[in-house]
Amino acid sequence: MTTDPGAGPGPRPGRPRRGARTAPGGERSRARAFGLRTRLLLAFLLVAVVSAGTTAALTYREARTALLKTAQDTAVSSFRDHVQQTGFGLPVRKEGLEEVLRDLARKGKPRPWVVFAEYGSLRASSGENPVSTVITPELRRAARANPRGHFERVVKDGVPYLTIAMPTVFKTGPDDVLPTGLVLYAVMRMTDEQVNVDALLIAARDGALPGLAVALIPGLIAARSVLRPVRQLHRATRSLGSGRLDTRIPVRGSDELADLARTFNESTGQLERSVRELREAEERARRFASDVSHELRTPLAGMLAVTEVLEEDADGLDADTARAVRLVSAETGKLAVLVEDLMEISRFDARAAELNADEVDVAEAIRKTLHNRHWTDDRVRTELPDGIRARLDPRRFDLVIANLVGNALKHGGAPVTVRLRTAARSAGPPVLITEVADSGPGIRPAVLPHIFDRFYKADAARTRSAGSGLGLAITLENVKLHGGTISAGNLPGGGAVFTVEIPLHAEEAGG
Amino acid sequence: MRRAQTRRRAAAVALAAAAVPLLGACGIRDTDVIEAGGPASVQAFFNSDSEMLLFFRTPDGGVSPVIRTSGSEDGFGDRYVHRTENQDPSGRVPTEMVVAALLAGPRPEDRAAGLTTALPARRPGTTVKITPTGDDTVTAGLPFPLKNLDPMAVRQLTCTIAYSRDADGRTVVHLKGQDGTSSTATCALSPDNPGTTPSPTRVQR
Repeated sequence: MTTDPGAGPGPRPGRPRRGARTAPGGERSRARAFGLRTRLLLAFLLVAVVSAGTTAALTYREARTALLKTAQDTAVSSFRDHVQQTGFGLPVRKEGLEEVLRDLARKGKPRPWVVFAEYGSLRASSGENPVSTVITPELRRAARANPRGHFERVVKDGVPYLTIAMPTVFKTGPDDVLPTGLVLYAVMRMTDEQVNVDALLIAARDGALPGLAVALIPGLIAARSVLRPVRQLHRATRSLGSGRLDTRIPVRGSDELADLARTFNESTGQLERSVRELREAEERARRFASDVSHELRTPLAGMLAVTEVLEEDADGLDADTARAVRLVSAETGKLAVLVEDLMEISRFDARAAELNADEVDVAEAIRKTLHNRHWTDDRVRTELPDGIRARLDPRRFDLVIANLVGNALKHGGAPVTVRLRTAARSAGPPVLITEVADSGPGIRPAVLPHIFDRFYKADAARTRSAGSGLGLAITLENVKLHGGTISAGNLPGGGAVFTVEIPLHAEEAGG
Repeated sequence: MRRAQTRRRAAAVALAAAAVPLLGACGIRDTDVIEAGGPASVQAFFNSDSEMLLFFRTPDGGVSPVIRTSGSEDGFGDRYVHRTENQDPSGRVPTEMVVAALLAGPRPEDRAAGLTTALPARRPGTTVKITPTGDDTVTAGLPFPLKNLDPMAVRQLTCTIAYSRDADGRTVVHLKGQDGTSSTATCALSPDNPGTTPSPTRVQR
């Protein structure tokens, strides 16, 4: 049975702090260039720009067209009316023509205009120049080819002019007219119209711009109404991730975001229930293992005592019985070790294991361990620099070293090397590194990921090993209890190596 | 990423579509020549009973009418025109007299306005023979050959004769030259009937 590190009871110490540290980043990200708020505002602005701009532009164009059309039609019809009130002899004589033109010019509506006359080779005007520079050849040609009124708007040097060509006819009978050959032209500056058109443009612009400003308000409101639930969801998700499974979001309204909040709450509730059930199941399983090992311990102690007595008397028994007694005694001993290991691992699982740390000389502690296990011959080599002191639980460290060296001797091959050194780490305090290397064939790569699993047998053929199958698992738990790590690997020249790294909390004395 | 780019491009297109009518239509712009109503009808003090319309050539290649009073040149016209013979029932000035006045050429006031004639100079002792050949048709026998006559001269003659016959100038004029060449045409100067041919048609015989 393996324990998922993420499903441990209670929040793990590192995570809430990390969540708290990333929170300012989340605040900053809200102001990012193309965040939801910016995009919503831009979309609202775009819609407002397009609608206000199009409306203003179309209104402006229509109004301008209407304004100009009115001015032009008024001017053309007024010019025709005034011309019709004049009389000309045929042929038109130059004498007196300018007076008639000046008279016409004074009557100009809505503003005085300059009147030009063209007849044969005669050119006359009400102004200073007899020939206009504004009237285009196209207008002359149109007036000559088709004896009807024509006008053309000409922009000359930025000033708009209205030029009107008015061919004249006279009556030859009650219903019949004949062109006289005289064409009168009126040239009028459209300054007032330009002022009005400019005013229209300013009005259109001044109408559109506040519209854009006003469009920002619904944009901001919409962005707020979307962003607030999103932020709540953001916070709730982070809180959930840091282990607070009772996190819920207040559900407001009945829109899609409210649905999302409701779904989130339901999912969180289900998750909370599942996790609680899992924890309870795990708790029951652990308690069962713990209870079983406890219940086994007392009868085993009795059996162990009896088998020892029997083994002492085995020499007096016949050969078959003696072998059976020795076998029972040995297996009972293994069973006792297994039960002890099971109880130890149950303590770890129940987090009942305590670290009784003391400042020790590490090299001395290792030497003591090897000496106690009688590994003092040349099977075990040591490279133990003196003077390295660390805060360790001596009993647990002893177990770690003994287990690793014992494993190395059992599964690897002599000689086994125990090395001790310290190393600096860029993050965190310096670490104490203990390496146990053997000279055996090494660990198969397929086995390496499972080497610290409980009851995992590296050698599938050897189902009955001397160990309980919990040795490396207990070692891992002991190292973890020190806040350290353990890793297994193979040396380039053959042989397995186990590396234990434990943070050095103590000041290094005299190193 | 791709979708964001597409969206941004779409936004740019929409902005441009909104900006084009806004920016491209400011102020007052040029227009083409636009027709606006009929011509101006001026008072020319034309009296068809005592006055005649003579058509002279203008500098820009058209014909233009001038008003001539018939009584003002008695010394000229009566030698060629027998007023009693061809008295028009409508009381108009006789066509022979009008054509004679046309052949006499433009006067100084006409020339001052740039009006000229394309017709040959009048030779003394020649007459114009006018024969109505139908309701709206008239034949004019000319005292000079028609063959090498300028088209403008034909037009002057056609219009002058047509308007001396009728106020609407729609009479079909059949010109017969001294050389036997003849030409049929209508005047077509009136703005009311732009459908007729703008220049006289000539038929060579």
